[in-house]
Amino acid sequence: MKLSTLILCGCIFFTAFLPADSIYEFDNSVEEKRFYSLISEIRCPKCTSGSIASSDVPVSRDLKQKVYELILAGSSDKEIKAYVTERFGASSDYKPAFEGANYLLWFGPFIFLGILMLIFLSNRRL
Amino acid sequence: MSTIYRSLIILLPLIVFITYGKILIADKDDVFTYFGPKEFPQFNLQDLGDSEIDLKEFNGISLLNVWASWCITCLVEHPFLTKLSKNEIKLIGLNYKDSQIKANQWLEKRGDPYLFSIYDPRGDLAFDLGVTGAPETFLIFNQQIIGHIQGELNQEKWQSTFVPLINTATKANQ
Repeated sequence: MKLSTLILCGCIFFTAFLPADSIYEFDNSVEEKRFYSLISEIRCPKCTSGSIASSDVPVSRDLKQKVYELILAGSSDKEIKAYVTERFGASSDYKPAFEGANYLLWFGPFIFLGILMLIFLSNRRL
Repeated sequence: MSTIYRSLIILLPLIVFITYGKILIADKDDVFTYFGPKEFPQFNLQDLGDSEIDLKEFNGISLLNVWASWCITCLVEHPFLTKLSKNEIKLIGLNYKDSQIKANQWLEKRGDPYLFSIYDPRGDLAFDLGVTGAPETFLIFNQQIIGHIQGELNQEKWQSTFVPLINTATKANQ
């Protein structure tokens, strides 16, 4: 085998096992799925936009670790989100709860579209 | 009549859009429009000299400044903090994710404006406070967090954010 091929194979072999992040171990796949869906729904407080899953700044690492610990401790998704928003503000939840002022957030675009449609239709009849 | 109607067609969606945006886009500089005042979290930490800390230190008006020896912006705001501490402002440090030796060396070299600094190497208290990095400064009144600034604290931010909050808090208490 040529030396260059050997070096190339070596590179591929060694890089394949480098983890991009800390490894979180779970007892079951349900908890693991919950973990990955939660960290993709929590906003990185230090970033302009992006979840803590996509970020490796210290505060995101701490948040991921905390979410991991809370899942292992048996907290529900709602409790974990409450825990995070209590500390880092309501804007740290990328999937805001379906309640109160958040209705405006969820339905606002549809109301806006409805108003536009109404104006457009009434204009055509004239 | 028709011109009014026509201009309304253009203006109405615009007004709706702007109002909607105004409601949704909150001013990020003023984090406390989100939180409102909240209790200072419980903690089990010592200061940089290994002494116990009493929560009573947070009675009255005090500032909690999050700093670290690795933090460049902390160096920038250090002269302003020194000035504040000379103006009879109770300034408490929160040493964030640092080594105790390096932190003490930093204070020795540059001067210590803090009454004392809470040593938080893992960032436990900082996490409960919602700290995203250093420097950050919290305004505390009778163990309640009433203000929060992320990034450098300077004369301008002090005047525009903290001074009005201090005035309101002390007036309400009289």
